Amino acid sequence: MSKTVDSYRFVDGVTRRVVETWIKMEAPRPIPWTPLERPLSECTVALFTSGGIAMKGDVPFNQDGERQNPWWGDPSYRVIPRSATEQDVEVYHLHINHKYVLQDLNCQLPLRQLEAMEAAGEVGRAADSHYSIMGYLLQPEAMLQESIPAIVRRLKDERVDVVVLVPS
Amino acid sequence: MGLAQREIEAAGFSTIILSNIPDLTAAVSVPRIAAIEHPFGQNVGPAGDGETHLAVLRATLRALEEVREPGSVVHLPFEWPESAEAEHPHPPPPIVGYLLKHPLQVVKLIRRQVPAG
Repeated sequence: MSKTVDSYRFVDGVTRRVVETWIKMEAPRPIPWTPLERPLSECTVALFTSGGIAMKGDVPFNQDGERQNPWWGDPSYRVIPRSATEQDVEVYHLHINHKYVLQDLNCQLPLRQLEAMEAAGEVGRAADSHYSIMGYLLQPEAMLQESIPAIVRRLKDERVDVVVLVPS
Repeated sequence: MGLAQREIEAAGFSTIILSNIPDLTAAVSVPRIAAIEHPFGQNVGPAGDGETHLAVLRATLRALEEVREPGSVVHLPFEWPESAEAEHPHPPPPIVGYLLKHPLQVVKLIRRQVPAG
């Protein structure tokens, strides 16, 4: 028996209603497509989470702005080097419990596992840089217009082929 | 995050999203989804369970390799362990406190009509 993932397993009734309505509001649109042109064992892979993760000492994602206006979320991004561990990061995301990432960064940004796959030759290379935004963005325009183009430039500079996104 | 994925794919990268709300992610027409029944904040697996993290990352990348049809959803077989913790944030997010004080505003959230700041 193959599993079908229940999208609502971990959300409350109000959130479910919100999500179901948002789904109905979306109309199908053309899907962008970049085929994988070589085996994964030759690809450079980057990770990108919306877990609100930043390096210690980096500018925090702005949580006070959201506390003052609960409809707003910080649209900026942060770079996480491949060597980062839970010792090196902070979490700024008012919609998730921070303690799990602070215990073990890999539960949201699996850098050690990506390095293990690199060492085993399963992927060509783990990119030098990985990325985080903060996922509570009811109005995603600023993130899409400013943060994503900056991340894309960096992905190109580092000759990344594959991006794995981990939402939060 | 699905909207970000669309932009990155369109810029020339092969992408896959490890989504725990795949119904919503699919609704914004993304190229590839690896669906997973794990809670927010621990999408890859319970904190401390590196073996699951590796298995999930490997399954996600395999799905990326195997998917040929834009918009495909691959449902990963992982079960969230009964013993694993998945607490909500406390305090709850600001929007929750706001809606408790202004319950009629929930309609705006449902319709995604964000009040002008």
